[in-house]
Amino acid sequence: MSHYTHLAPDELLERIARTLKKDIGPAVEAAYPKTQAFMASVVLQKLAGQLRLADEHAATSQRDLKELAEELSQLTSSDSIPSSLSDAIHTLRQALDTTSVSHLIETLYATRSELGEERFERIIGQVRVRLRARVDREMVYAA
Amino acid sequence: MSTMQQAADDQDMAERIRQYIGTQLPNAPDIRLEAMERIAVGWSHETWLFDAHWTENGIPKTRGLCLRRDPGNALLRHFSNLGEQFRVLQCLESMPLPTPKPYWYETDPSILSAPFLVMEKVAGTCPSPWGSAGRRFYAEAAERGTLPESFTSALATLHTIDWQAAGLSFLGVPEPGKDFARREVQKWCDLVEISQQEPHPILVDLIGWLKANAPATERLTLVHGAYRTGNLLIDNDQISAVLDWELQVIGDPMYDIAYVLTDLNREGSELLSHLVERDTFFRDYEKATGIEIDEEACRYYGMLYQLRSAAFWMSAAGLYASGQSEDIRLARTAWSVPVVLEGAARALGY
Repeated sequence: MSHYTHLAPDELLERIARTLKKDIGPAVEAAYPKTQAFMASVVLQKLAGQLRLADEHAATSQRDLKELAEELSQLTSSDSIPSSLSDAIHTLRQALDTTSVSHLIETLYATRSELGEERFERIIGQVRVRLRARVDREMVYAA
Repeated sequence: MSTMQQAADDQDMAERIRQYIGTQLPNAPDIRLEAMERIAVGWSHETWLFDAHWTENGIPKTRGLCLRRDPGNALLRHFSNLGEQFRVLQCLESMPLPTPKPYWYETDPSILSAPFLVMEKVAGTCPSPWGSAGRRFYAEAAERGTLPESFTSALATLHTIDWQAAGLSFLGVPEPGKDFARREVQKWCDLVEISQQEPHPILVDLIGWLKANAPATERLTLVHGAYRTGNLLIDNDQISAVLDWELQVIGDPMYDIAYVLTDLNREGSELLSHLVERDTFFRDYEKATGIEIDEEACRYYGMLYQLRSAAFWMSAAGLYASGQSEDIRLARTAWSVPVVLEGAARALGY
């Protein structure tokens, strides 16, 4: 059995955050550095939460984007859609990143009149389901 | 910066301010400043309050003054500067709205190292609505009932000022129709761009929605842009001065009304801005102005405030990320962006 002590990075940040909040902040007299100490504690706490979930969230995000790209390809396969939108969906499939999702949304708004309201709402609705899930994940450590 | 260094800097600053005020009051060779305090409110301009005392023709004189200095890395510095604030205060001086009297504005960096303005120190307090003490202050004032009336009345006055006669056209006058809303959306999109932070896709969706749904503006008034408790000086349950003239525009008065109505400024309180009952606010405002509150337009501007908040926090986080500021409060704002966008997502029907 190992005798080594292991402190995970997020636990380390949590510990330092507690020290800043309970020991360092209250001992500082001047207003500005006192605020900075307390705020540093808050930042480290949030960072710890983000770090703890980073791998899990990254994997979920990738899976979500992949599924979204598939859904949008299927949703638009039988329709004729503007080529810029088709390109944006293709880029999303390739890149699976935030930039390509944003570009897809911009393209959706730019081609809205060509798409018509019903198709616009259907496609943006699919995107929003995934973005809702993303922001819910972010709220776990941000709120 | 150490506490001792801070104290030395404060002392040096106080002496430089005293010398400057002395040059503005040539009949006051014996001028001295008392009760000087640097107040730590806001993230924009640095603010000092003090009382100037001198003798003029053998008569002792006292004047309370407020000095605001541009630190160079202020939030919203792209939209507002002290020169414009000074000019707005000059324009409002003869108007019925309570505002601080502006005295001097200087751009010469040899005086205080950065541009600054000096204005009247108006009697009153400005409790922050974000802390428990401030919320208690407003809850008690709401019970007494006079301050809520003053809150609505001052906003009604602000919206009925003859802004053309006051000389405020220099702020820029939107074209009739959707120009005002489009200008505001573009302004905050520009701040997102300047922040050099990658926009969240929900923000991109929100911007698309705002551009597609801009309302036509029926009437133009002076709009404060941040009318809420915390930006209003209060004395004896009355608004003694409307402060924070940083985001004012000529535009749709519903932009201010939406700010009063938004959840962003009441953190769970049923009272608007922690102070006023919604129905009472609607009734008193409409009666005082003759302007009917357009809830649909307010809903739109409420969404625009989501963009504004996100842009504001992104700008703050960007200042820290780029090394332009070492204030850890700004680093913390990076986690405020998803919180705002979660609200935007709900409003968009996600």
